[in-house]
Amino acid sequence: MNSDAAVRPGTISAPSVVGAVIVILALGGAFYGGESIVRQLVSGLTLGAIYMTVAVAFTLTIGVLNFLNFTIPTLFMLTGMIAWGLMAKGYVRFAGGWAWLAALAAGVAVAVVASLIVERFTFRYLKMRHGDATEHAIPLVSSLGFLLIFEHLVLLSLGSESERFAVPFNADIHVGYLVIGAAQVASSVLAVAVVAALSFVLRKSRIGRALRTIAENADTALLLGVETNKVVPVVFVLTGLLAGLAGALFTVNYGHVSPFMGDEVGTKAVAAMVIGGLGSIWGSIAGGLIVGVIETFSVYFFGGDSVQMVVWTILLAILIVRPQGLLGAAVSARSRL
Amino acid sequence: MSGYASGILAIFCINLIFAYGIFVPAAAGQINLGGAGFQAIGAYGAAWLSSVAMQPMWITIPAAMLIAGLVGFLISFPVLRMRGVYMVLATFAFGEAVAGFLLWTQFFGGAIGMVVPAHIELPAICGSAAAVTLFAFYLMATRFGMIARSINDDEAVATLMGVNARATQVAAFTIGGALAGLSGALYAHNFSFVEAQYFNSFLSIYILLFVLIGGVQTAWGPLVGTLFFTLLPEVLRIGGSWRYVVFGAAIVLMMAVRPQGIVTRLMADRLSLRRLLAKRRQAGAGA
Amino acid sequence: MSEKTALALKGVTKHFGGITVVDRVSFDIPAGARTALIGPNGAGKTTLFNLISGVYPVDSGSIVLAGASIENVPPRLRVRAGLARSFQNIRLMPHLSVIENVMLGQHVQVSGLASRLTPIAWQRRSKWKEIALSKLRDAGIDVDPDADVSTLSYGLRKRIEVVRALMSRPRLLMLDEPAAGLNSRETADLTAFLMSIAQGGPTLLVVEHDMSFVHELCERTIVLNFGRIIYDGPTRGVGDDDEVRAAYLGRRRVGMTGASPAA
Repeated sequence: MNSDAAVRPGTISAPSVVGAVIVILALGGAFYGGESIVRQLVSGLTLGAIYMTVAVAFTLTIGVLNFLNFTIPTLFMLTGMIAWGLMAKGYVRFAGGWAWLAALAAGVAVAVVASLIVERFTFRYLKMRHGDATEHAIPLVSSLGFLLIFEHLVLLSLGSESERFAVPFNADIHVGYLVIGAAQVASSVLAVAVVAALSFVLRKSRIGRALRTIAENADTALLLGVETNKVVPVVFVLTGLLAGLAGALFTVNYGHVSPFMGDEVGTKAVAAMVIGGLGSIWGSIAGGLIVGVIETFSVYFFGGDSVQMVVWTILLAILIVRPQGLLGAAVSARSRL
Repeated sequence: MSGYASGILAIFCINLIFAYGIFVPAAAGQINLGGAGFQAIGAYGAAWLSSVAMQPMWITIPAAMLIAGLVGFLISFPVLRMRGVYMVLATFAFGEAVAGFLLWTQFFGGAIGMVVPAHIELPAICGSAAAVTLFAFYLMATRFGMIARSINDDEAVATLMGVNARATQVAAFTIGGALAGLSGALYAHNFSFVEAQYFNSFLSIYILLFVLIGGVQTAWGPLVGTLFFTLLPEVLRIGGSWRYVVFGAAIVLMMAVRPQGIVTRLMADRLSLRRLLAKRRQAGAGA
Repeated sequence: MSEKTALALKGVTKHFGGITVVDRVSFDIPAGARTALIGPNGAGKTTLFNLISGVYPVDSGSIVLAGASIENVPPRLRVRAGLARSFQNIRLMPHLSVIENVMLGQHVQVSGLASRLTPIAWQRRSKWKEIALSKLRDAGIDVDPDADVSTLSYGLRKRIEVVRALMSRPRLLMLDEPAAGLNSRETADLTAFLMSIAQGGPTLLVVEHDMSFVHELCERTIVLNFGRIIYDGPTRGVGDDDEVRAAYLGRRRVGMTGASPAA
C-alpha cells in the first residue's frame, strides 16, 4: 500500500496557475469571442467542475491507498439514479417543493454507503502480502467486480433508459450581456468550495496529516502510530461524498440521469487526472476544468464525435512527453531494498 | 455443430488469443488495461487491408499482427516509464485514445464501421488459438519466461541478478500487442464487420479479468480464466443483468480469498504429469 | 590498481536527508581474501552493500572492482563485472521454485538469444539445471528442487540465497548475514562450504553478527560505526580494540556473539 507519488495539497503557485488560466480564458473569450464563446466557456467550466470533483476522488484514493478505484464513476451514477428512483416512486413527496433536494441527498448517502461496502470487501482482506508487481491490481480488480454488481443491480431495478430529472427552479443571472444559469453558478461554486475545503483539511487537520503520512509510506505511517484501520474508511467516505456530489451536480445541471452516466464521466475524470498531474489534487482541479472546457469547445467547433479523440490524444501526448502532467511530480519507478 | 455452438467456440478462441496477449505482459508484472486498443488496431488493420487494399487473409492477418506489435513496441517506452497504478492508467488512456481515434476518423469509416469481405472459417480460428496457446506455454518454459516472472516477483533483485528488466518488459509488451492484434484480425474476418464502439474500455476490463482470475503465474491462467468466464453463464443458465451481478460477486470473492488467481505455479507443479509419474514410480518401488 | 585487488573503496560517502549513513569509507580487499564487515545495528553495513551493488548511487567516492571503476555503472551490469550478493532479509522470488531461484542467478553466465529461448522447463536434464542441482548438493541443501520457497525454513532459504549468488561465478561475493537463523551445525556446514568455494574462487566480504562464525571464516575484520570505519585489521584483534568495545557495549569485552555477554 505504497504510492510512488504522494498526495500533495499543492504549493502556493498551483491554485494561482489554475486561477490565472481561467481568468485569461475568460478575458480572452470576452474580448475576442463574444457572447456565445463566453457562454461556452461557462458551460465548459461547469462541466469541468463536475469532472474535477470526480478526478479529486480518484486522486485521493490513488494517492493515499495506491488504489485505482473503478467504482467511483458508479457511485456518481448511483446518486443520480437513486435520486430519480425515489422521485419517480414518490418516496420523497413529504418534502414538497424540496423533494428533488431530499432525493439527491439520499442519493449521496447511498453513494457513501456503497463506498463503505467496497471498502469492507476490498481493503479489509488485503492484510496478506501477495507480494508481486501485480499486487496493486487486487483492489482494482475487486472494484471492477463491484462496478459490475452496482451497475447491473441498477439496470435491473431502475431500467436502462435515460430519464428526466426535473429541478423546479430556473433562475438566470444576468451579467452584462451574459445570461448564466443559477444552477451552473451554484454548482461550480459548490464544487470549488468543497474541493478547496478538502485541500485545506488535508493540509491542516489531524486526519489530513494522517492521510498524507499513509500516502508517503504506509509502513512508516504504522510506525508513527497512525491508526490506518480508522483512517482508511475516511478515504472511502470522502470518495462517496465527492462522487455523490458530482453526480448530484450533474443531475441538476443537465436534468437527466441514466445507468450509463458514470461511464463517460469516469473516463473524462481519468483524463483530467492525467492531464492535471497524477497524485496532485490541484492538478486534478486544473485538469478537470481544462477537460471540461476542451470538451465543450470541441463539440462547439468540431461536433460531438470529435470529443473522445481530442481529449484522449491530448492525454496520450502528455503521457508521452510529460507523464507527470501539468502539476504532478516526476513519477519515478523507485525501488526499495 | 450447431450455429450457436460454433459461434461460442469462435468467440472463445478469439478471446483466448486476446487473453494471452494480455497475459504475456502481466506475467512480467505489467497490467494492460488498454487491450481493446490493440485488438482494435489488429481488427481495423485487417479490415482495411482486406476491403480497401484488397489483400488476401494470409497477408492481412500477419500484417495486422505486425502493426499491432509495432504499436505495442512504440507505446511501451512512455508507458514503462511509470509503475503500478500510474502505468495502468497510461494503458487505459492508450486504449481510449485508439477507440476515440477510430470513432472519429472517416478514413476507417468513423462511427459506421467497416465491412470485411474475406471470411475465415472456424477450423482456422481454432487452429490459431491452439498455436497461440502452445506458444504461450513454450514461452513460459524458457528462460525468458522465468526472467519475466522474476521481474513480476521482485524487479529490484532481478536487476541485481543482471536481468535487463526494461528490455524484457518491452519485449513482453510487444508480443502481447501482437497477440491482441491477431485476435482482432481474426475477429474482423470472422464477424465480417468492425465498429469502434465494440473496442471500448469494458472489453479491456473483461479480458483483463479473464487473465487475472485465471492466474498470471503459469500459461494455464488465461486458458482457465477464459473457460471459466465463457462457460459460467452457460452453466448457470442465468441471463441478462443477473449474469453480470454474479460475475461481479465472483470477482470480488476471488480477490478476497485467492487473489493470485485460480492456477498458481505451485498448483500447476503439483498437478503436473511429471509429479504424477514420480508418485507412481515411488508407489511401485515401495510395493 | 591491478586484478590482485578484488575491491577498492575510496572515500565512499552517502547521505540520506541530513544524516550521513556512510562516511568516507575506504579499504582495499585483495583477491581471494575473506573479510568480515561488522558493526552495531544501523552502522551502515547494508547501506554499504547497497552502494557497492548499485542499489543507491554514491554521493562521493570511488568503487573499483577488480581494476574496473563501477560507481557509475548501472546495477544490472555490476553482476557482469563479477559482483554477487545475498540479502539481509531474504529476497528469494516467492513464486519461483527452488531450482528456478538458483537458475536465475545464472543469468549473466547464460548468453545469447538462443539459450534464453530454449524451453528449459520442458527439459528433464539440461546443463544449467545440472550445475544448479550440483551446487545445491555441495551446499548440503537436500530439498525437492520444484518446492515452493516459502514453505522452507529460514536457514534453508538463507543458504539457497548463497547458492544463487554463487551461480554467477562472481569475483566478489558479498553475503549479508548468511549465518543468521542457522543452528550451530548448519553454521559449521556453511563455514566449511564457504571455505571450500573460497579456495581459488571468489573473494568473500561478509556482514555478520555471529563472531564465532567470523573468527572461523575471516582473517580480517572491518568494523563500522555510524558510517565510519573504526577498526580494520586482524579478526583476533577486534575484541581488544577500545573503540570497538565502546561502540558496542561500553567497556565490556566483545563476546563471541558480538552482543552483550550474559550478565
